[in-house]
Amino acid sequence: MATDKQSVRVQRVEPSFNPVQDEDLDQYSDELSELTIVDVDVHVDDTLMFMLDYMEGHFRKRMETVLQADFKGEPGNSLRNMIAHIAWLGSSYDKPPRAKLATQKDLLARMEKGIIDYSILFPSELLPVGYLPEPEWAAALATAYNQYMVDAYQNLDGVKIAIVVAPQHPDRAAAEIDRHAAHPDVVSVCIPDVGVNPPIGDEKYWPIFAAAARHDLPISFHGIEALIHDNYPLRVAHFHTLMQVNSMGFPFTSMLQIMSVVCAGIPVRFPNLKFAILEAGLTWMPFIMYRLDAAYLRYRTELPALEKKPSEYIRDWYIGTHELEALPRRGDLVKLIDLYQGRDTTMWASDWPHLERDLIAGFMRYDMDDALRRKILGENALQFFGLKPRP
Amino acid sequence: MTSEKEPARTGASRRKITVAAVDCFPPGARMEVRVGSAMIAVFNVGGDYYALYGRCPHQSAPLSRGRLQGTVICNADTGWKTEWAHEGEVLVCPGHGMEYHVRTGKAFGYNLKLRTYEVVVEDGQVKLVM
Repeated sequence: MATDKQSVRVQRVEPSFNPVQDEDLDQYSDELSELTIVDVDVHVDDTLMFMLDYMEGHFRKRMETVLQADFKGEPGNSLRNMIAHIAWLGSSYDKPPRAKLATQKDLLARMEKGIIDYSILFPSELLPVGYLPEPEWAAALATAYNQYMVDAYQNLDGVKIAIVVAPQHPDRAAAEIDRHAAHPDVVSVCIPDVGVNPPIGDEKYWPIFAAAARHDLPISFHGIEALIHDNYPLRVAHFHTLMQVNSMGFPFTSMLQIMSVVCAGIPVRFPNLKFAILEAGLTWMPFIMYRLDAAYLRYRTELPALEKKPSEYIRDWYIGTHELEALPRRGDLVKLIDLYQGRDTTMWASDWPHLERDLIAGFMRYDMDDALRRKILGENALQFFGLKPRP
Repeated sequence: MTSEKEPARTGASRRKITVAAVDCFPPGARMEVRVGSAMIAVFNVGGDYYALYGRCPHQSAPLSRGRLQGTVICNADTGWKTEWAHEGEVLVCPGHGMEYHVRTGKAFGYNLKLRTYEVVVEDGQVKLVM
């Protein structure tokens, strides 16, 4: 019941069709403004039209053709829609349209609230790049994306960029890393991990890891709804709804790629290379760690390069909280994190402004001590991306 | 109005909070009311006023900003066929799309009901009873 002493404020409002400028951070501004907050998974409008000016020759011609097609009315067309949403076109009719992408102005407005210290920009449009069958075309898109992002988003306070590489062209991927690694605003190499075949631990990809290790640039794996893939467990034919694809695709892909990297001995070969997994939630981490440990007892001789059991490598991987599972009790998140030994590796991620983004209340509802909360909201990410706290 | 089903809590001490003049709160409009730290969403749907707890229990997004539309239902009454229903009465959370029946606060597909509040019209003023 309300008491007469409580203040009252009435405001006429309109329904929001644009999730970009929501007010989720404002609720906690008092609590958070003193802390270092790093949002490790932020997306801006990077649709294909922005890449046109960075393409040359026949690839430019090809991009012009792509931009003339109209797949879903999304501005500039969308690789995501062509690949990931055609099959289920409109199935999320009740949600805001995907077209609401964040402009640079939207991003800066969110930063100007003074709550988030760093936003790490990850690709949206090129997340399905791993599906593309032509290595040269995939690499050309990645090159155009990286140069566009650096040109458009460098020298902005608190804004950092993960460049993207096309894993199907390892030499071009390594060249991209060599080209951008020294830029002060480039803080990670994003490998879009869905559709990558063979899995990313395969020896053919080692030039990518070697380049990242050479420049001390951490690797971030970022998933997408896993569709149109020939191979188990990501085959579209298994699923009739996008909800099932979304639920299984991200964690299955993450588990597949972690297993592949660790079993290939990449952490042994490149001991200083840091890895992160984004957009796959957290709950599957204990499963893959200890399931591999159990099998390792029997099959260790298949993996002679490993110097310790798989979980002791995987516990060093960083992981973004998005899409944070809603666990039933407020103490459950800490229990989960302790199960995968993730107090120093778990990083808050919103996925802003995508429609499945996490509002910060979803994280703040869980009980934990202040020191752990500070680590997850910012300190662990500073460590991973090699950033200094902003004044 | 939500008055019939919402039991009075402690009738004597409930407070009536003026939301707006009736003329300023036409059908299709909604108001966001903050009382202390609580947020209440008040809607005029076809001339009837409904007030609901204003934050989504999932991740606290402001329900006052949600769209009103219909939704799909599939139950014994529809013969287990999927049908479009409740047009204009389904409040869609602007955060992640959880859906609530604006008349009752009941969430579609979840064992969950938002708190509802009585709304009265007195002397040309729309008032929220808390």
